Order: sequence, then structure tokens, then C-alpha cells
Amino acid sequence: MEACVTMSFKQPPVIPSLPRQFHGKWNKKSYHVLRELGRGANGAVYLATQGGVKRAVKVGGESIDILMEVNVLKSVQQGRDSQVGPLLCDVDDLMIDGKPCAFYAMEYLEGEQLDRYIRQSGTEWVAVMMVQLLARLDVLHKHGWVFGDLKPENVIVTRADKQVRLIDFGGVTKLGNAVRQFTEEYDRAYWHAGDRRAEVSYDLFSAAVMMVRLFVDRQTWTSSLGEPRQTVWLCDIIRNSDGLYPYRVPLLKAFHGKYASAGEMRADMLAILRELTVAAPRQQKQARKRTSGAGGMGISGLFVASLLLLAGTLYYAWFM
Amino acid sequence: MKEATLRQILVVTDGCSNSGMSPVAAAALAREQGITVNVIGVIEKSELGEKGETEIREIAEAGGGLCDIVYPQQLAQTVQMLTRKAMTRTIHQVVHKELKEILGDSGIAELEPQKRVQVAGMVDELGEKSSLNVVMLVDTSGSMKPKLSAVQQAIHDFSISLHSRSGRSRMAVCSFPGKQKYLDVRIPWTEQVEQAHHITGDLAMSGITPTGPAIVEAIALFDHGKLPQSLSERYAGTESDDHEDGSLRDHVF
Repeated sequence: MEACVTMSFKQPPVIPSLPRQFHGKWNKKSYHVLRELGRGANGAVYLATQGGVKRAVKVGGESIDILMEVNVLKSVQQGRDSQVGPLLCDVDDLMIDGKPCAFYAMEYLEGEQLDRYIRQSGTEWVAVMMVQLLARLDVLHKHGWVFGDLKPENVIVTRADKQVRLIDFGGVTKLGNAVRQFTEEYDRAYWHAGDRRAEVSYDLFSAAVMMVRLFVDRQTWTSSLGEPRQTVWLCDIIRNSDGLYPYRVPLLKAFHGKYASAGEMRADMLAILRELTVAAPRQQKQARKRTSGAGGMGISGLFVASLLLLAGTLYYAWFM
Repeated sequence: MKEATLRQILVVTDGCSNSGMSPVAAAALAREQGITVNVIGVIEKSELGEKGETEIREIAEAGGGLCDIVYPQQLAQTVQMLTRKAMTRTIHQVVHKELKEILGDSGIAELEPQKRVQVAGMVDELGEKSSLNVVMLVDTSGSMKPKLSAVQQAIHDFSISLHSRSGRSRMAVCSFPGKQKYLDVRIPWTEQVEQAHHITGDLAMSGITPTGPAIVEAIALFDHGKLPQSLSERYAGTESDDHEDGSLRDHVF
């Protein structure tokens, strides 16, 4: 019996390491392990080849956790064209030290983690990626699932066609249940903006926080994470960021759970993105001026006005 | 199965017990009565030492639960994660046992993966729908003082997680050592902790850490009635259990 599955401090979690070569007990497919790709809360993902094709293989300390993920992945597979996450290729057992251990193999998505991609390619990609991400979420939600643990680390931008895909389905939860797994920085409850019930608005909240996160560097982000955390603090960042400011309305609406679907938020973002692209040259100049001087005051005032408007119609908790 | 109630004790501590019966025996006693014991070690740097680490692991093992050792800032998330995983495990064990009766000795392992995926989905759903009762048992001996604000936050946070479940959830919070008894009930059974309670006020700061006796007293908080005579004689030592049960009930209800 592995009683201490999550000894995370002194001892690494008891995630079995894969032998360099193995084959499944039931389906008899054989895998060559190339390297470890990463570790999540439930297990480790390895890059392997099977029949000459690259696959991502996940194993975990407890088979049941792995099988639960498969259960979710399978039900999302129905929309094959939707490209929410990786395709599921194989579910099987392998023997490690004489004990059966469940694993699954999925399509290997070659690409970059979203935050790394933005760092390399620039913040003008953020809104484009957000629009794509919201489309993926919309599909997931329509299948009755909430992603739960939404964060840049769980979003991949494929190298070939720059498509956003979700990875790590450990947090995916049936609508209405309690979110299975989350990360504090993107968790609605941690920001005192609601509970952890799996709702469309839970994912949209995380998405909005993620967008803000992608615009600031790591240091600003971590150094400013004071207690207690409140969305007002995120609004300060939005107000002071040229890149985020145009998106203030959809972001605020997401913070306050005002969207009924990811599609709605996507449409709002897309409209702003289009407008910005058309008006790009002139707007940028204005944005520069805004940070200081009278122009800044004017637009800050506008911002405050939009806040008040929202506060009035939306939520009681604004000044909390 | 649908009406299942899961019972857990979650011990939050930062060191070794040094008073009363062995906490490992106490955890075994809890498990005997259908209560899972999980343990989280909260440490500032690496003050826990091998002995404390071993004890934490042994308590969880004997109590059929899980353990983790974390920094104070990780506490809130760890509480939620550990509780959920322990629940899944308990339900999985029950399902496993049932399937064993149908399928023979090897039980679920003999099922093909696709079928087991369905079982996993069912376990997940049962976990969400079942009732859950958790007693959080917080070590408030002197060395815990700097970590108590993190504990307080974790308590509040945990109550949000519980509240988000579909199944009925209750939690109670106790601190040990207590003033007169081995533990004090800080927050009696409740469905939602409205705000971070101040458990830091008037704490019995002392050098003793009676983890074992505190676990035994926490068992009494579950509406099980008294300990079976034979077990109470074997484990409870000189203390009279009737007396303990009585006064705890007064605290709670």
C-alpha cells in the first residue's frame, strides 16, 4: 500500500518512473520512452514513441486518478474536430516492480507552454490566444465539463499551426460538482470572488486572471500578490497596462461572473481585438500619453466611470 | 452506497507528539471505527526532522489516510487536495471490495482498462455525492504560533471547498492541547465557516503535544456513540472515556 502518495517536500511524490521500454498488458502496444515532459498533481508525462509515432504517456502514483482523467478525456473526444485537448490513443497497464500500473497514451502536441510562448513572441499575441482559448472552453462547457485548473502551464500553443490546446485534464470537473483541482493564483475562491463549484463562470474567471498574468512579468506578479487577494488589485494592473486597458470591460465582466458562456466573452474580446487592429497606429500613440498627465486623468476617469456603471448594475461586493 | 458518509480526521501539526498514547495507535483505533486519518506537517524551513516525518507517515498509514509535508503558504491547497484524494481512496476501496465479491480475488485489476475507466468515473461521482464529515485537529503548541494565520486561512478556504460539493459536508475544528482536556472544540460541526475564525486567541501555549490522546478525543466527535468497551480499555489508559465523551458533547451541541 502506498500510503504517502503526496510527500511533496522531502521525498518526491511516489510516481513510478517508466522503464525505457515497455508494452501494455492488454493492448500489447510497445513504447520507447524518450524523456520526461513534466509532472502534474496526479502523475508524470513522458515523451515516447509507439510504432514510430510520438506519443505523450502519462502514469501516476494511483491508477484510479489516471483512470478518472481518461474518463474525462474520452467524453471530450466526441467532438473530434474541436481540438480541445490531445487525442486519446491508448489506455493500458504496465508492470512496474511486479505491480500493475495504469497509463494512457495521447497525441503528442509539439509546441510551447502559453506563458513561454508569449515571452518569446510578445504580448500582442495574448488577445489572439485568449480568443482561441475561449473557443476551446466553449466546446468543453457544451459537453458538460469545466476545465478547472486553467493556467498558462496547462495551455499549449502548437508549433506548426499556432493553435491553442488544453493539456492536463486532472482538474476537469462535471458542471455543478466541486472543482477537482485548481491553482490558487487562478482560483476564484482564492480571490474572494466566489466558490469552487464547477461553473462556466469559474473557468472564465481563471481565464481573465490568466490574461492579466500574461501581461505582467513574473516579478511584478509574485511581489504584488498580497493578502487578502482581491480583484480590485487586478483592476489596478489593468488600469496601468496599455495592453490590457482596452479589454477592461470583458475582463471585469469575467471577474464578476457576468458571462453565461465562453462564446459571449469570446465575441466581446474579438470585437475589441478587431477594432484595435483597424485603429492601431493612432491608438498606440494615445495610449503612450495616457500613463501621465491630463490625458491619463481623463481616461482614468472614464475607467472609474465604467467601473461604477458595472458596480451599479452588477455586484454588491465591489467595495468589499 | 449513495447514502455513504465519509468520516475523516485531518491532523495539522509541526512536530512529534510527546505526551500520552501513541498517535499511530490512536489512528489505528480511528480507522477501526471507519474514520480515516490524514496528516499534514506544516514546516517553516526544515525543522521537522526525520522523527517527525516518520511519525506523520506512520499516523497516516495506520489511519488509512494520506499525508503531506508543506510550507504554510501551501497549506490551504494541500488540505483540499489531500481530503479529496483520501475520499476517492476510501470509496475506491469499498467499490474494490464489492467487485472482488463478484469477480473473484483479483477484483478490479482483472477488468480491462476501458471497464475500469467506467469504474473510475463512478467512484468520482460517488465521491462528489457522498456526505463528508471532517474534524480538523490543529496542533497549537508553542512552535505552531507563526503558522496559525496560514491555518486560519486554510480553515476558511476548506469550508469553501466543502460548500462547493454536491454532497452534504460538515466540518469541525479542534485545537490541541486544550485547556482542560486534550483538545478544545474551536468550531463545532458546521456546514459553512463564514469567516476566518480567530483560533489564535487564548491558546494554551505549552510544550506538550498530545497528538495521540487528541485523536482519540476527536473520534468521539463523530456521532458514533462511545468507543467499544474492549478498545477503550486497550487504548485509553487511565482516562475515563465516559467522562470525556460527556464533556465533549457539551462543547459541541
